[in-house]
Amino acid sequence: MNTTGLWVVLGVLVVATVAGLVLRARSGRVRTSARPTGRSAPTAGWSLAGHAPADDDRVLLLQVSSPVCTPCRQTAALLDDLSTTTPGLVHVEVDVADRPEVASELGIMRTPTVVAFDRSGAELLRVSGVPRRPDLEAALAPALSA
Amino acid sequence: MSTPDGPVTPVAGPGHVPTEPSLDPRGVRFAAALTTVVLVLVLLAGSGWLAAAQAVVFGLGAFAGMRFAPYSLLYRALLARRLGPPAEREDAAPVRFSQLVGFLFAVVAAVGYLTGLTTLGIVATAFALAAAFLNAAFGFCLGCEMYTLISRTRARFRSRNPHTAEGATA
Repeated sequence: MNTTGLWVVLGVLVVATVAGLVLRARSGRVRTSARPTGRSAPTAGWSLAGHAPADDDRVLLLQVSSPVCTPCRQTAALLDDLSTTTPGLVHVEVDVADRPEVASELGIMRTPTVVAFDRSGAELLRVSGVPRRPDLEAALAPALSA
Repeated sequence: MSTPDGPVTPVAGPGHVPTEPSLDPRGVRFAAALTTVVLVLVLLAGSGWLAAAQAVVFGLGAFAGMRFAPYSLLYRALLARRLGPPAEREDAAPVRFSQLVGFLFAVVAAVGYLTGLTTLGIVATAFALAAAFLNAAFGFCLGCEMYTLISRTRARFRSRNPHTAEGATA
């Protein structure tokens, strides 16, 4: 038994508990993006997704995933369902393994992160972790009816 | 969650090729809890050999596959039958990747302790402990999260050195 080891154990457990609580609180929460994003050009979202908006497309949900990510699959299933039942909503999933530049461009550190863009390409909101469906639907409603 | 009930096959993301049977998430958490205990013991005892043993455990999962991961075998032998089938299953690839990250940290820890670079051993074990604890207590996979950062860093490196780009995608 050594005291240094004991202190390290206690320190790590305290820090990891705080980090875990913060991550859990943030995970899935809808964060509204500050409006002019500045960093990316208009329509950046749609071009990053490789998807030109059709006439009745209102909102793009660009999901950034990685191959080693369990919540990414849950998020994809949720957003697939949401986009098929919601007119005007488009869901595109990109993988950081194939297209790391998308994560760099959008400043994304974690997967899954979902970034919503309106028709003009302006960023509306972000969600890291599996989105909370009612919150996401409520946050997207104004842009979808615009 | 909107996923249908019953045996859920993980939804394949782009470029995702399932190569291993999916896992019982409770087994993953059990393995993380056991790893947490072992890493605490490494720090308390300052034992490089225990760190090396944990590196072997990580290595079996990472290189031979999760079927051969010792803590998963223990879970299946002791608990799985008593708990019944899981409500959902988890894709093996992320877990396997996190075992690889754990393996690297455990190897550095073992080398540190055993060569007298005790501080290195302590720091590497502390990182591995934080990751294992986050997984056990919160179901948060730190090793998996690192994949995104590694991909981004690799991409930046590649764009700076165009001649290394060819065939570099794994």
